[in-house]
Amino acid sequence: MAVVPGMTELTAPYWEAAREKRLVVQECQSCRQVWHPPLPRCPHCHAADLGWRQVRGDGTIYTYTIVRHPTHYAFAGEIPYVLAIVELAEGPRLVTAITGVPPEEVHAGQPVRAVFRAVADGVTLPYFEPATRRDIEERG
Amino acid sequence: MIRRPVFRKEVAIVGIGQTAYGKALPGTAWDLAIEAILAALADAGLEPRDVDGMCRFAPPFEPVSEPQLVRALGIPELRFFAESPLGGEALGAVLAHAAAAVKAGLARTVVVYRALSQSKGGRFGRADGRGPADAGAPRSPDAGPGADVVVPEEDNRSFAWPYGLMSPGQLFALWARRYAIVHGLTDEDLTGALGSIAITQRRYANNNPNAMMRDRKMDWDDYRGARMISEPLRLFDLCLENDGACAYVVTGAEVARTLRDDPVYVLSATQTLSPYREPMGIYVSGELLELFPPAAAGRLFAEAGVDRGDIDVAEFYDATSYMPLRSLESYGFVPDGHAWRYVTEAGTGPGSPLPVNTHGGHLSEAYLHGMNGILEAVRQLRGTAVNQVPDADVALVGAPAGSATILAR
Repeated sequence: MAVVPGMTELTAPYWEAAREKRLVVQECQSCRQVWHPPLPRCPHCHAADLGWRQVRGDGTIYTYTIVRHPTHYAFAGEIPYVLAIVELAEGPRLVTAITGVPPEEVHAGQPVRAVFRAVADGVTLPYFEPATRRDIEERG
Repeated sequence: MIRRPVFRKEVAIVGIGQTAYGKALPGTAWDLAIEAILAALADAGLEPRDVDGMCRFAPPFEPVSEPQLVRALGIPELRFFAESPLGGEALGAVLAHAAAAVKAGLARTVVVYRALSQSKGGRFGRADGRGPADAGAPRSPDAGPGADVVVPEEDNRSFAWPYGLMSPGQLFALWARRYAIVHGLTDEDLTGALGSIAITQRRYANNNPNAMMRDRKMDWDDYRGARMISEPLRLFDLCLENDGACAYVVTGAEVARTLRDDPVYVLSATQTLSPYREPMGIYVSGELLELFPPAAAGRLFAEAGVDRGDIDVAEFYDATSYMPLRSLESYGFVPDGHAWRYVTEAGTGPGSPLPVNTHGGHLSEAYLHGMNGILEAVRQLRGTAVNQVPDADVALVGAPAGSATILAR
């Protein structure tokens, strides 16, 4: 059992990219600004010609919480888990969960990178895990 | 730009009413709303037939509709009714709408109400609607045992729920952690600040016959020993979940003075909305901590014609203990980053520079989406509160994202 995103015409490209293990954010084809979550118009120049930019998946932990009490039966078996807001190198922030590290070792400002986990048939979510030394060097 | 005052003492609250508050009260939310409204009208010396306006929190938050109440109370005609969205952020807005309607002549006597039946309608802290005793099948018809739960996209929920970010408590934990990050607090600093808020409010509640936590003492050992829900928030940092209803009656100042000697005047009432600054907004482009936009706070005080030092008592919306802490800063009572130390040193209890949540708040009186804070402010300004602030002349009631009011006697 998993909790999976319902999709709309606006949000489906994000999740379709995730299924291909790509992280994308919406991009204005006119002024080239990027943002997340998706919107029907560019909030900067109001252009309707919008596309998707693939981002590297590098970011840092903006804030986080270790959840120790489930509020939904689907997460009862996941306790404890680490929710976070990650700030991407390209600017936008995402809600995600941190994997691949004991919860107690998660900290603010920690460099992280996107990893992709299939949670249900045809549904893949981007999660984040601590970046390796090599990831960080590659970021320059 | 200082705008001209909109409501300053031209509109007043003339009646307040409530039900008992409890985990599971008999009756429906409809029953509770009726009881609270009749109590508020009786307090004002008015009858249901006098009511010609209603303001409420928009569905799905407020389950009781205007037609239900007009029918059940035999109100001949409403000529003004309005609904405010965004849950707790309707707090100042419903009063702003009621006061504006009265001032504009759209209505003469406006009832504002909020009824809540979490025992029957689902608990806010449970994303799946399950209560502790409900071990049965999930509510959503599309989610049988073992089936995937599909989160419909609505206000970006489909980007949060799949990760398990589903409840206000978890979101406020992210905010509280961010506060500690930005201001360099240790876990102990943050615990000391949040615990000061929670324990102070519990002590107020211990004197309050209406408070659900009236008989439940809480000391530092109790607070620290409570289980972590979503770090850094512990059990007693989170609000109660309960049934109950509140209502109040708004009318013009001249009428108000014919009804009672102690009307409580509306000095200002605000609502505000900017991108991602709605209550559960996560994706704000600037600093996440900035909830109440400074411009809105400035408007609240400028329109009221008072300053921070004039406020005798504040009732801050407290879904969690973090919110009154941050509200001290966002409303301008304490500089940014100083509230955590301020609440541990000056505090918010009796005799402090600014007593906060003198009824016990959502943490220890009951959760009524901020409406019980309005009722408490009215009692403070009438001089009838159980934890009376001496000579309280001006009170502020506010939700964290800019929906607020300043009231005066």
